[in-house]
Amino acid sequence: MNFSSYILRRVVYALIVLVVIVTINFFIFRVMPGDPVRMIIDPKWTPEMKAALYEQYGLTKPLHEQFFIYLKSLLTLDLGLSFTSSRPVMDELLERLPNTVLLLGIALFIEILIGISIGIFAASKRGSSIESFVTGAGLFTHAVPTFFLQLVLLLIFGFVIPIFPIRGTMAAPPPVGGWAQFLDRVHHLILPVFSLVVINFGSWALYTRNAMVEALGQDYIITARAKGLTKKRVLRHHAFRSILPPIVTLIFLSLPSIISGAVVTETIFSWYGVGRYLLDATMKQDYPAAQGAFYFIALATIICNFVADIVYGLVDPRIRVGGGEGK
Amino acid sequence: MKKRGFWVNATKFCREFISKPQGRLGLIILGLFIFVAVAAPILTPYDPIDDLYLAEGMAKPAWAKVLPGNSKLPVTVHTRLGFNEWQVASGEDLHNAEEIKENAFAIKTTPGEFSKLVHDVNYKTDPPGNFHFETRYSIDASEETTTVLAFVIVDPNGKEWRLWEKKIFGSLKPQDLLIDSRQLDLKTRLGLTIFDEASKVIFAKKGQYKVLLRAYSEGEPAIITMEPVAVNIQGKLHGVLGADHMGGDLWSQLIYGARISLIIGIVAALIAVFIGTAIGIASGYIGGFVDEFFMRLADVMLSIPTMPVLIILSSLIGKNIWNVVILIALFSWTSTARIVRSQTLTLKERAFVEAARASGASKTYTMLVHILPNVIPLVFAALVLLIPGAILYEATLSFLGLGDPTTPTWGRMLHNARSFGAFTMRAWWWILPPGLAITLLSLSFVFIGNTLDEILNPRNKERA
Repeated sequence: MNFSSYILRRVVYALIVLVVIVTINFFIFRVMPGDPVRMIIDPKWTPEMKAALYEQYGLTKPLHEQFFIYLKSLLTLDLGLSFTSSRPVMDELLERLPNTVLLLGIALFIEILIGISIGIFAASKRGSSIESFVTGAGLFTHAVPTFFLQLVLLLIFGFVIPIFPIRGTMAAPPPVGGWAQFLDRVHHLILPVFSLVVINFGSWALYTRNAMVEALGQDYIITARAKGLTKKRVLRHHAFRSILPPIVTLIFLSLPSIISGAVVTETIFSWYGVGRYLLDATMKQDYPAAQGAFYFIALATIICNFVADIVYGLVDPRIRVGGGEGK
Repeated sequence: MKKRGFWVNATKFCREFISKPQGRLGLIILGLFIFVAVAAPILTPYDPIDDLYLAEGMAKPAWAKVLPGNSKLPVTVHTRLGFNEWQVASGEDLHNAEEIKENAFAIKTTPGEFSKLVHDVNYKTDPPGNFHFETRYSIDASEETTTVLAFVIVDPNGKEWRLWEKKIFGSLKPQDLLIDSRQLDLKTRLGLTIFDEASKVIFAKKGQYKVLLRAYSEGEPAIITMEPVAVNIQGKLHGVLGADHMGGDLWSQLIYGARISLIIGIVAALIAVFIGTAIGIASGYIGGFVDEFFMRLADVMLSIPTMPVLIILSSLIGKNIWNVVILIALFSWTSTARIVRSQTLTLKERAFVEAARASGASKTYTMLVHILPNVIPLVFAALVLLIPGAILYEATLSFLGLGDPTTPTWGRMLHNARSFGAFTMRAWWWILPPGLAITLLSLSFVFIGNTLDEILNPRNKERA
């Protein structure tokens, strides 16, 4: 198996997942109680007017035809109009996307930086208290519900000691001037980012620590040490280098769950993002919006998984140079 | 022989489990939660969902009285005034009252004279929220007798507040009597406007109050039978954890939440593990197309963003706890399937399985009799490790307002806390307990699961 056929397989696989998700998305919203048109029409309308609306939305066509129309509109990224705002769902999502990317991106960057540093440090100091700290932080990630930690932070720093804003992406009305606006954005970002970092850095630290410990036990490390290289150099240039590929892959693999988690974080901090849009739309039974947001999130997930596979292929020489079974 | 081997193994296993501090700690925490879940009706007298208006909305916990600024807050009162609680006030006559059963009592009136039952209350705090009195009464008298019954509160200044009064001719079948401070006719009778709060006016002073039950009859003696009077005065201090926005008891919600979380976590994990084991064994043992299909299916499941899909699905078919449980299970089986599949693949090559196959055992028989018992220990650890995930999913869904509104869950408590102003009130007693409970319960399963995995997973044994 060479690299291009590996990519091809991954593309096909990503497409299969996409088709499954699109199909689920289509049928979920067709089997639910009530029908979408009923949500937007006035009860005073005559049956003829209702029929015209059904016609307009293509709901009189057979199901398979509706499905193909739906597929076509998804491929052209036309997600329809929101019932509640009557604006194109795609526009609404694109408007919110930068906020979500900003929040999740900054949080991910910081938690990886902190997590990996602590993980390496813990691996270099076996049996010290820093090791049990890393284990504890990893457990914390598993057992503490993110939303609970966020609520507690909100209670402490938003209400008891009100030093951070309790809701929103920026102040309303936004402050005048580029610098003031920037500071305002940062002010609103601190609490949600901090909560995500506190929850998640532990699992990065634990993973890095375990991978480092394993790497440090390898023969080539012992050789490097025997050559007289400093401990620091061996740690950085030999051991860490070797665990970098799986970590990079893991970063991409973690993106889907991070995107999933955005729903809760954005809801708690009233963040103007894609995740909260999905929940709001679901709550308001705004089906085109909910469906569109879900498609959007699922698409992002598939792309992240695909990129993770490609990165994995790139960093794993067995796949890149075409070793293994097929050669 | 085989049985004895099992017991020896079980004892050995238990001893090994107990020897690990993590396992011990996990068991202790879990035991505590199981105790709370089982003993819920003993630990709280209230129903977590149906008992509303027990206190004023957002009432603080009773122990908050010792905090500065709270000493004058009214405490909720829930009591029943039965025969033993009514007394003869000094200088008044208690006419012919007697206990009939279980604290219910009967008063026999003397025509032309007042019969009075009195209950003294020393009231030292600020006025309470609403109050209501509830009882059932009946009158047995001749046709010509007219009876007047009244329910009166006398304040420290001696002013009489006639809350209820009724003139009855002849006999009366058992009737409900309900006095609620919010009733309009009550306010009119007391000379208040509809905007006045009766409780604030009546209990404006601090000192000795009297609750008075007064009967008077003309003609012949009447016998008034009355059940104990249920008194509910909604205070601003209530119970162990205070009250929610509807005056519901937060402590009982916390206690009953343990039941629900345990059930949800365990049932969802059981279903997920069942699906995962079946698929894992089938994939591993049958292989070929079946394997390919199920493993690709698992991949697809992993590629679907779980939380968003759970949000959408539970908003469509949720609102019922079992639907939520099934949804969570459907998205949690993949990890078990993977573990079981790889274990099955190694078992398949073992001699005893080969022997079974050679002696003509069917595939189903081999899978059930030879493979299944050997993957069970592994599955057991996987089951315990799936529980915290299921608990967290359910808590998150409930927190987002997508749970079952008729089920008292911790997530729902937090949802209510967020939606109905616990944050602006800084009511940390409402926010912290359910969250800590979720965390501790999840943690106990993580501890137990890790310990089980350490003992039962063959991978760890080989390493050790």
